[in-house]
Amino acid sequence: MTLNNEEISRYSRHLTLPEVGMGGQLKLKEAKILMVGAGGLGSPLGMYLGAVGIGKLGIVDFDVVDHTNLHRQIAHAASDEGRPKVHSLRDTILAGNSNIEIDVHNTRLDRENVMELFEQYDVIADGSDNFETRYLINDAAYFTKKPLVSASIFRFHGQITIFDPDSGGPCYRCLYSEPPPAALVPS
Amino acid sequence: MLPGVVGLIQATEVIKLILDNGVPLKGRLLLYDAMKMNFKEVSVSKDPECALCGISATITELIDYTKFCDAKPVTSAQEEFNSESFELSPFEFKTALEYDPTAVLIDVREQYEWEICHIDGARLIPTSSFDPKSSGLSKESSIYLYCYKGQRSIMALKELWKAGYTNLKNLKGGIDLWAEDIDPDMPQY
Repeated sequence: MTLNNEEISRYSRHLTLPEVGMGGQLKLKEAKILMVGAGGLGSPLGMYLGAVGIGKLGIVDFDVVDHTNLHRQIAHAASDEGRPKVHSLRDTILAGNSNIEIDVHNTRLDRENVMELFEQYDVIADGSDNFETRYLINDAAYFTKKPLVSASIFRFHGQITIFDPDSGGPCYRCLYSEPPPAALVPS
Repeated sequence: MLPGVVGLIQATEVIKLILDNGVPLKGRLLLYDAMKMNFKEVSVSKDPECALCGISATITELIDYTKFCDAKPVTSAQEEFNSESFELSPFEFKTALEYDPTAVLIDVREQYEWEICHIDGARLIPTSSFDPKSSGLSKESSIYLYCYKGQRSIMALKELWKAGYTNLKNLKGGIDLWAEDIDPDMPQY
């Protein structure tokens, strides 16, 4: 794999950083990242991963852009209302960097599709917003041995960590063995 | 704006994993509080008893997640007690005490230890006689607890937590670390 001249120019500020360099930029280009969620977390996550030149981005979400999303889900424009979020986010990312490949999965992640999907990627990034999906992602990442970069938000609080039990680290269940009672789950 | 901050930290960690560079956020949970504008780090270790990745795992394939998340009866489930979430470093503890008008400072060591040294403004309730019901502490107050090294005070804190107190803080490292970090004139024993 190589970079073309346009890419060399685009990523030149990376190429001159010793921590990235040509070797690092090629690693980014070879990388395949699957993002779950194209909302509040998925917007900045996808926009930056796309801009820095991740070679292949997968985006899973089943929702459509709503007016109430616009104040925080910054990848979606007012003109995107009613469109699938995966399409809106894809278009925003590609408008900034058309070198990358984006696979959209306009569907709800479930037991039937998760394993096959995860197998195609190197790293999973969880930006989902409910406990069912969070446990599903955790378990599937464990079974497919993929590192999981997990983020969640509630009101004015955020949590971020990496679950990678395959390399000796904890998984989501080590931290939260059971979901909170239904009455305490924020809607 | 909160999702922006959190999503970008997530993106940074993804990129570090790909580049295999820097110190990844593995085994560390980063907590961000936008209102207080602070970040805290809690270490998270692998649970040997984990149902998925533990030694005698019971989950060996994908399960019914709707059922798993819905089946918990509200009454029997209690939020898990995480002692680290109540801990403050000596510096954080001191700052919080100074700025918290509802703060009540409780020393849970024994009388003889109190006589060696104590933090000004504290009230002594030794763990040997500690009982949330008879403590007279108000649930409206913020209760700051300390002991020698931070172990006894977390036990007392847990008793208060079980009794329904919510605003609780524990001095990490106890008065011993306080003497080192905050008050060099305080005797250590």
